[in-house]
Formats: sequence, C-alpha cells, structure tokens
Amino acid sequence: MRSLRSRRDFLFQAGGGLSGLALAWLLDQQGLLAADRAPASGACAANRSGPTPFTAKQTHFTPRATSVISLFMSGGVSHVDTFDPKPQLARYAGQPLTGKGEVIVRQGNPGPLMPSPFSFRKYGQSGMDIAEIFPQLAQHADDLALLRSAYGQSNDHVQAHYLLATGTVRMGFPSVGSWITYGLGTENQNLPAFVVIYDARGGPFGGPANWSAGFMPAAYQGTVFRASDNPIIDLKPPASVTLEEQRARLDLLAKLNELDLQKYPSSSELAARISSYELAYRMQGCAPEAVDVSRETEPTRKLYGLDNSTTEPFGRQCLMARRLVERGVRFVQVYHGGLGNQNTDTWDAHDDVKKNHTTHAAEVDRPIAGLLTDLKARGLFDSTLVVWHCEFGRMPISQRGVGRDHNPGAMSMWMAGARIKGGQAIGSSDEFGYKAEQQPVSVHDLHATILHLLGMDHTRLTYLYNGRQMRLTDVYGDPVPQITRS
Amino acid sequence: MRVISWLAAISALVVLGLATGGEISAAERVSFSKDIQPIFESTCWKCHGEALQLSQLDLRTRESALKGGQRGPALVPGSADQSRIYRLVAGLEKPSMPMDGTKLTPEQISAIKDWINAGAPWDPSAGGASSSAPAVFAETPIPEQARRYWAFQKPARRSVPIARDPRNKAHPVDAFLVQAMEQQGLEPAPEADPRTLVRRAYLDLTGLLPTPAETAAYLKDQSPNRWDELIDHLLGSPHYGERWGRHLLDVARYADSNGFEHDFDRPDAWRYRDYVIRAFNQDKPFNVFLEEQIAGDELDRVTKESLIATAFLRCHAKVGFREKDNPQYRYDYLDDMIATVGRGILGLTIQCARCHDHKFDPITQQDYYRLQASLFGYVEVEHPLTSTKESEAYNKKIVNIEQRLKPLKGELKQLERPYRDRLLPEKYKEFPENVQIAIRTPEAQRTPGQALLAAQVIRTTDVSSKEIERLMTPSDFARKRQLHEAIRRLEQEKPPPISVAMGITDGDYRFAPDGPGDEPEPGKGVKREAIEGTFLHQGPGRYQAPPSYFLIRGDYQSRGPQMRPGFPAVLTYGNPPVEIPGADGHTSGRRRALAEWLTSTDNPLTARVIVNRIWNHHFGRGIVATLDNFGKMGEKPTHPELLDWLAVDFMRHGWSIKYLHRLLMSSAAYQRASRYENAADLAKDPEDIYLWRFRIQRLDAEIVRDVILAASGALNTEMFGPPVFPKLQPEVLHAMTKGIWNQEQDGPKVWRRSVYVYRKRGLPFPLFEVFDLPDQNLTCSRRNVSTVPTQALTLLNDDFVLRQAQLFADRVREAAPSDATEQVRLAYGISLSRPPTAEESRLAMEFLRKQKLVDLTHVLLNLNEFVYMR
Repeated sequence: MRSLRSRRDFLFQAGGGLSGLALAWLLDQQGLLAADRAPASGACAANRSGPTPFTAKQTHFTPRATSVISLFMSGGVSHVDTFDPKPQLARYAGQPLTGKGEVIVRQGNPGPLMPSPFSFRKYGQSGMDIAEIFPQLAQHADDLALLRSAYGQSNDHVQAHYLLATGTVRMGFPSVGSWITYGLGTENQNLPAFVVIYDARGGPFGGPANWSAGFMPAAYQGTVFRASDNPIIDLKPPASVTLEEQRARLDLLAKLNELDLQKYPSSSELAARISSYELAYRMQGCAPEAVDVSRETEPTRKLYGLDNSTTEPFGRQCLMARRLVERGVRFVQVYHGGLGNQNTDTWDAHDDVKKNHTTHAAEVDRPIAGLLTDLKARGLFDSTLVVWHCEFGRMPISQRGVGRDHNPGAMSMWMAGARIKGGQAIGSSDEFGYKAEQQPVSVHDLHATILHLLGMDHTRLTYLYNGRQMRLTDVYGDPVPQITRS
Repeated sequence: MRVISWLAAISALVVLGLATGGEISAAERVSFSKDIQPIFESTCWKCHGEALQLSQLDLRTRESALKGGQRGPALVPGSADQSRIYRLVAGLEKPSMPMDGTKLTPEQISAIKDWINAGAPWDPSAGGASSSAPAVFAETPIPEQARRYWAFQKPARRSVPIARDPRNKAHPVDAFLVQAMEQQGLEPAPEADPRTLVRRAYLDLTGLLPTPAETAAYLKDQSPNRWDELIDHLLGSPHYGERWGRHLLDVARYADSNGFEHDFDRPDAWRYRDYVIRAFNQDKPFNVFLEEQIAGDELDRVTKESLIATAFLRCHAKVGFREKDNPQYRYDYLDDMIATVGRGILGLTIQCARCHDHKFDPITQQDYYRLQASLFGYVEVEHPLTSTKESEAYNKKIVNIEQRLKPLKGELKQLERPYRDRLLPEKYKEFPENVQIAIRTPEAQRTPGQALLAAQVIRTTDVSSKEIERLMTPSDFARKRQLHEAIRRLEQEKPPPISVAMGITDGDYRFAPDGPGDEPEPGKGVKREAIEGTFLHQGPGRYQAPPSYFLIRGDYQSRGPQMRPGFPAVLTYGNPPVEIPGADGHTSGRRRALAEWLTSTDNPLTARVIVNRIWNHHFGRGIVATLDNFGKMGEKPTHPELLDWLAVDFMRHGWSIKYLHRLLMSSAAYQRASRYENAADLAKDPEDIYLWRFRIQRLDAEIVRDVILAASGALNTEMFGPPVFPKLQPEVLHAMTKGIWNQEQDGPKVWRRSVYVYRKRGLPFPLFEVFDLPDQNLTCSRRNVSTVPTQALTLLNDDFVLRQAQLFADRVREAAPSDATEQVRLAYGISLSRPPTAEESRLAMEFLRKQKLVDLTHVLLNLNEFVYMR
C-alpha cells in the first residue's frame, strides 16, 4: 500500500490527465475486493470521462431505452414452427406450393408443403400463439411485441446476416451496434460500448464482419467478450509479465509521455492517447468483473439455467449481457448458434426441423425467459430493448420430408422491454408463411424501429462517407408504429 | 387458396382502419385528367408507359391497366383494396411504388383510392397517353454551367506566384503555400532539426526507422545536398515500394481472400500485390500503371506484368459460390469496379448514379451504364505465366491423363452400381413414412407433391464408399482396390500446376466454367438466358461483348435500352474513342479506350487525384481533404492553383511519382518543424490547413508493426511471394468461419513486412484492425485515425509485441553488455532516433535500478513519440 500511495502522490503532483490512472488503480483494488458490492457503484461504475469517440451524446428525442440486448439465432429459425402457426400447412400437407410465383429454394428443388411437427398454444392475456418448444419464454407472451411479417433479401446465410447486421447484403458497412455507439456514445468508458458475445461453438455465419465498423473509425466496432476471466483479447499481460512489472512500465510510460506532451501542448491527439492508456488500465480491472457470473447469487444463476448443461452456455451469455447492460454498455450482441457444425450447431434445419429446433429451443428457452424476468426484477426492463431475431425464416415446404430450406420471404422476430407495447402480434405472413403479407416489415424498418426506441431518428443519424450522408437505413425504413402504441 | 388470402387481406385492412366506405361523395369528385393523370405522368408512366412497360404492365389506358402485367391485373374498378396500383403506392404490398424509394403524398394516395373506388373513370386529357412522360432512362442533358465546376475543368498551367519574401522564391510549392499564408497572416514554423527530418524521411518513404548509424551519418554529412541525396537514397530503397505500394493497395481494396460465406483463398492474388510494389520501385509512369491495371490484356505490348496488373479489376469481394444462379452478384461486382475507378482514380462518386442520376454532381445514370458497358465484357481468367509452348504442353498432359482416367472411373461406377442399388432402399427407410411411400409409388402415379418429395430424396441420397465395401464380394473388393490404386497413380502423374496470374480479359460470362455451387441447377439464373456462345472468343470474326443495358432503378431485371460504352459526359473533352480493338480481335478494346481516356492529358481529374493522394500521404491532409471525392459534396481545395500546377507539372514530367516525391519533399513546407507553438497561428488556423507547421501523423497500422520489428532488429526483409500467416490467438481463429489461415509459428519466417501478411476479408488481422485498418472490401479514401483503449491493450499485452520488446532488449544488451547508461542511449537511438534528454535519462536510469531492460524497451515501443511521424 505504501508504494501505491507514493505513486499516487507523484501522479497527483504531475497533475492533469494523469491523476486518473493512479486513482483508478486504487479504486479498482477496492472495488474488486468488495466482490459482492452493487455493481453500479465502485471503481467500475459509470465513467463518462471524455472526450473520446465514446463520449455520451444527445439523442434526437426522449429515448424509451438506453441500451440494447440483441439475441440473434444464427442459421435461421423456422417461423412456422415457432411464432407463426399455419393451420393451412396441415390442410394442404403433401401438396405443392402454388399460386405464389416461382418457388425459390436454396438447395435442390422444392418439396411439398409440410405441417409443423410442433403444436401451438395460446399464452398470456393476449392469447399469443407460441409453439410448445418455448414453454418458459411463452410465459412472457404479454411482454413481447411479435413481428410476423418481417422479411429479408437474401437466402444465403452470410448475406442475410450482413443485411440484419448492417442493412446491406454487401460487405464493408457499419453494423447496427456501430451506428448506435456512434450515435449515442457510452455511459461507461471503463468498458467497451459495443460488446459481442458469440456462441461457444463458434462465430456466426460471416464472422467478424457482423460487428465491423465498416467505413467508420475502428473505435465503433464490436469488442468480442468471452466467458473467462480474460474476456477480451490482450486484456491482461501474459504470465511472463507480473502485474507489478506492468504497473512499473505504465508509470514510466506516463511520465515519459507527459514530458513529451509538454513539447506539443496543443495536440489533443497525443493527450487522448495518454488517456487511452488510463482507460485500458481501468478496463483490465472492470471487464473481468463485468462478466464474472460467479458473483451472481445461486437463484439468479438458476434463473438463467446455469445449473443445467443444456441451458448453461446460452444462459451464461445472457447473464453476461445483463451484467454488461447494468454497467452501462450500450449494445450487447449475443449470438446463439455457431459454425462448429453448421447443421447441428445452428438453427439451419435442412436435415430435420423437429430435431434441430427441439434442441436449440431447449438451449435458449430458459435463458431468455430468465433474462426477461431478471431485467424486470432489477428495474432494467424499461431501459433495455431486447430484440430476438435471425437472418431469415424457413420454407413452409419440406426438404426431404423432414427439413426446411431458407426463406427470406417471411420471418418472425420479437422485441421486449424499452416500454414497448407487449402482447401484440404485428403484421402477418401469407396463409402458408411463404411471404410477408400484411404490413411487411423490412430490415430497414426493423433498424429504424430500434433507433427510434433509443431516441434517434433514423433519417437524421448520418455519417458522411463517400460524399454522402450515409444512413443505417439507406433511403428506406419506417419505425413500426404499433411497437410504441399504448 | 386465393380466396383465403384475399379474405385475410380485407380483414386486416379493417383492423388497420384503411378500409373505406361511405365516401362515395368524395370519390365522385375525383377526375382522372385533373387528379390522377398528373400523378401517373410524373411517376407511373416513366416505367409503365410509352417507352417502357416494366413487368409487361402498361398503364396508359384503362384497358391495359385492367389487363395488367406479369403480376396480374393492376386495377379492380370499385375496389382500391384489391387493386395492385393502390396497394403498392399505399405500401400495403411490396415492392412499394414508385420504386425509387420516394413516396406519393397522402393526398395523392387518397386520390388514387377514391378514384378506384369510384369505378376508375378514365377521361384522359387531350394529348392523353404518356406522350408527355419522358421514359425513366431518357438522358437529362448536362447544363453547360456544370462543366464550369473547378474539378471538371482541365487543370490549367498556372504561373508560380512571386512571394514578397525573396527566400520563398526558390521553390514553386513554397511560393504557392507562402502566398496563401501571407494572405492569412500566418507565421510558418522554422525548419525541423536534422534528427527529426531524417526520421521523418525514413518513416515517410520506407515505413521503417533509420538505424542509429544512418542517423549519425546524416548528421555528420556537411554536404549542402545531403537532404536531396537522402531522398534519392530512400527512393532507391526496395522498402520504398513496400510502403507506397501499400497506399495504392488500399485504393485497390486488395485482399488475399474472396470474402462472404466461403471466403475462398485467392492463391495468386499476391502477384498483383508484388506488381504494385515493383511498379513503385521502378517508378513506372502512373499513366502506364493505370493502363496496365485496366487493360493489361489489350495493350499493344502485353507482358506478364500487364496481365498480372489486370487483377485490379478482380480485387473486389466476391461471393464465389452459386454465381450463376445469382446473376445480380455480377452487377454488384461491376458496381464495385465503377466505384473503385470512380473514387479511386477519378475522385468521383460515380456509383451514386446506379439507380438514379447523381444527386449532387452532374453524373447521369446514362453515364453509369456507359461505364458499365465499357467494363461489361470482363471475365475472370487465370493467365498462364509460362510460355505458350509450356502451357500448351501442360494442358495436353492434363487432357491426356483425364482421358486415361475416364474408363477407370467408369468401371468403378459400374462395379459399385449393383451394391448402390441394393443399399439405397435401405437408406430411404430412414425417412418418414410419407417419403417412403412417395418413392415406392411408381413415377407416373405419384401426386405432384409426392413427385417433389421423391425427386428431393432420390437426388440427394447416396451411399458411401465404405458402406459399399462392406457388402462387396472379395473379388469385387479387390478390383475396386486395384482401380483406386490405378486412379491414384494417374492423378500423381499430373504435372504440378503452372504459374498463373489472377486476372481478367474479355469473354462471355454466361459461358464461364462452372464455379463452386454453379453446377446443379440448369435453367436457372444466367443459364436461363444462355444461348450459343463461347467463354473466350477464338474467332472467326471479332469478339462482341455480351449486351448490357440501362437498368431502371439499378434493378438488373428491369432492362431499358442496350448501352454503348462511354465515359461520364461532363469529364469528356473532344470525342475520344470508346473502343480501341486490338489486332487479334479477341477483346473489344473497350477497357483500353477507358484506360486511355483516364490517362489522357484531357482528363480533368486523374492527375489531380493522384497528385493529391501523394500530397496527402506526405502532409497528412490532401489539398482536397476528401481524397476520393472532388465533387460538390467533397471538400474544397485549400490551394486550388497549386493543385493545378502540380497536376500539370506531374504530367509534363512523365507521370513520375518519384519526381513528385522529390519535388514535395524538397520544399520548405515539408521540412518545417511540427514542434512549434504559435498562439496566433493556432487561433487563425487550428487545423493547420495552410501548413504553417508540419502535421504530426500516427503511423498506419502496418507501419506500427513494421517499426516494432525494425526496433527489435528482428525484421525479415525478404521481399515478395506468397503471403505469411503470423500466429493468431486461438480465440481469434475461433470467430473465423471459413477459408484459410495457415497458422504459422511466431518467428523470423513471419517477421516480414506487414504488406506481406495474408489479407483475409473475413478476419482482419487483429493488430492491424485495432489501428484503423480500412475495411478491406471497399476502396479506401483516407484512413481513419482513432485512439482507443484496445490499442493500448494490444501494445501492452500482445504476445507479439512483448516478444519483440524482449528481442529489442536482447539487442541492446548485446551491444552494451554492462553499461546501463549506454543501454539507455542505444535504446533511445534505435527506437526514437535521438539520445535521451537529461531528464529522460535520469528517469530511465532510476527505473532500471529496479526493473529489467525489457521493461524499458517495452515502454519505448508504447511511447507516443514512437508511433507518430513528426
């Protein structure tokens, strides 16, 4: 403690931007020792110190929510087997799909119409139809604003992922999380503003381009968090360097950089680089704490299914997401389904939709229900937008009698939290679920809605690139009006 | 079924409150000629009128509207809700109309609704029809004044201003700059000290550090020409091309993989990267450099180099899977080429005119599709880099072996057939009952649904070689083994592949060899329109490019008239040829004409744009700050006369980039100090756009890594060849989906310059990405510079950086084994090209009393001063 104090004294004397470094260290130690303290206080609490690319910014109008948890089901969930029941599929089972123009499939040739292997029940006061494979999530039916008429543009996984992630099927554009952190900054600079937690089995289709900042500065790209005490790449020094050694290095670095800054007093760039080391140092302490789910109580861990090997992996991802949002992270992108084995580890149910969706629904049902319950219990539900979606729906026709091919024509998504109107199903697909029919909701509409809930007008959130004020929604998109209608 | 969806539609409309009723009186007032025709004229008739009937829909008469187009009737009199016209303009159905993303006003929509509900009376005004509605593809003439915009005027040879201060007369660049500074009342900084200058020159021209010996030699040199000599020396260094080639590779959006789902490796992409490095080292005239990249296969003198150069047009991200089923992909690639030629070479956002005329600049959609026609004949080929004789011999050998393989493979198939036939029914039993029934049912008796099911399963079910072997008789098994062995031996006889360059030439893309995923679906995509043709033209007669069309709203299925090649009208002076066919008649010569137009001295932009890019990399900001946008939405030039003067001077000096470096670096402006505080200057020009002091510049991502390797002494200076794959952390590889990363051990083999590190579109190299690597999929204008904590974490904790810090310490200790003062001095000299100050020395010595030398060298690699050019 003595060395720390003398170090702090020195840094305070050195003045200016340096004092934060020592203070952060001290506070981190205290914060980390007091393990079960409320996370909103202590060293890792909201740190708005700026100005950096992440300084919190004004919204266009009063936001409904301040953070987002995006739950992305990679591989493509079959809407007709989960949230969009189609009795006509049973009636016309075994017959070709006709009257809808050319039936475009991704693989081989089209099969006949196939009824869902699952039964649906009505849930909640709203009587929302949800398939039997989501028994726990269904208990939250009255919290969900279900979109049954969403549609995409591509029946290829990767392009469809990029469309959902960036608003275009092409590569090189900023992701939704980048736009949001660009537009809003963050409430807590001790943690990255935009965090990605992907499936332990592997990254989603299309990999890191899904959280790329595209043509924006790299500052706005997503930072991948893993469920370990070293959640970010290069967060901590390797074993060969002790923390003491690192501290000594940082001290000397700060002193030498400070001497140098005296030669360039008007350079904000150099000053910013000095403070980036302070922030990095704080992040070393705060990031592991932020995702340390062992600090949660047993009931909470159970709520997310951490006591069960099926639900544990995704439960952990959801619980990490809640902890991050609680600490002021702006946008948490959670992926379920990873490219270890495309057919079994994602929702890509070409082979057998019953087997595939039974497995994956079981993995996510309790964690998602737990997340919604927990957000409510902690008073975070109203300030957090939860979006559940995927890259496309699946075909009403069968693939080899048991599977379903990709279908960008219609898909189901839902939103919760953010003081939206729950217990409603918005729009509909046609009688078979082949195409969005009533009130089709494009991906641009979805993005416009997300921005709207965060207090941003999607036509005014622009970034000058290529001589044009670029938008997440290009020249399209309208917020879905019923989402906020009470 | 139709009735069902129809009823659903009605009931939903009621819910949405859109259904009508009791509004007859309002509807009665609607008049077609007064209320509806103006709407049709300004929107619908552009695509469904006289000149064009998209979707075979003609809205000029009531009869034709009732008849409808491909998607059925457009109009159901009396029922707006059932009329597609209304449903599409009201956004109740997709695609919403009009197709350009604009919307009719609520009043217009409501007028259409009322009119249809009133029975859609049709009383066209005199003149009627759509004679007054210009087709959507009609060319809007560019107003004469548009050409007066500075960037569309050919650069004029300006006279060099005469500065008041005679000291500034010496150098034309300074004359222009000082004149502007005098006008602004700015006081320029003095010349930087020689140590700063020598480091600046090395970092700028080679991206590497001067060694302490090189710095010392420069300081000792008393020659008045030492600066010029240093520049000549550095321009002669092979490292120069590695640094400056990289700037142009950003423009070319160069990568070693395809991107998208499969992210296939591009095994020969590196030849193009090496071509660019060599071009810079050889000071290939920039006009020749461009001509080779656009039309290297069409020049009078085609060389291996020029064929390799055509990879420029293949550097875009590419799906590379099921290309033929998805004809729209090719239009996106062409768009990427137009964007890259436009922004990269011409500094104009021509690709904005893909769907409509450019909103800000006088570039029409016609201009876009003319340019598309100039490129449209392109096909991807692997140009052999061996002699014709060798490549013919190679092909002959391969064909011969394939012919010998054929009977063996045939016999193998025959041998397996009975077993396969026995096994398949067993396989079908794994499917549900309805599938089995469908397969069992004789083909003629299957219901349509059963036919679909049976086709799906029969086509995709197969048995494995192992399963067959288990059933085989010993003699059949033995024969199978023999055949396998024979096939293996023949495969081994195949000669190693000859060297090829990834490039392009003209051909017919519809007949390109099938790529991955292209095989299965006949009658789909481009194969649907495939008629007689060949991939590459072999004669007789001249090659004809496949037709390309004006595409309405950029939709590849909405064809307007066929297009001729050409160039943006506002940039074109005189009447340059749009096709310069070569003697062999194998290509159209359109790209050659494009290349000659781009590099003509009459082209107002090409020279300005490259001169401005070179300027930007030296001074940290272009004369036009938006390097790729000289249009109205770009920044205005800070020194327009100087830009013109430089462009003309550059062309007169044979488009020599090295000449330009010498010119710019010999100016006083380049040699000014960056360390210069002048409150008055700062207040007048805080951004330093008048260059009153030298702008400090954060090193580019690759150069951060390169100077770390230079400081540690571990840099492997081997040039060229296939890329290297430095070790990535397993967690990073985990996020990778497909494609390759040939993880190599951390060591000298991968300690090459960063320009040789594999560029994977699906997985940007993390150390580069964190330091603002531009997106590898789009042509880069100017790199972003952001300062974020993850950069600090990388330089603090990354294994690579720590290992280099250790090597740096080892290097210093070896040179000065026991003298700590000397170690500090040496470490400073190596990393910062200067001795430590007294204060720094004291701090370092104090530090070393408790800490190891590596702690110090690691700190030096993290210093602001280390990662900035000053």
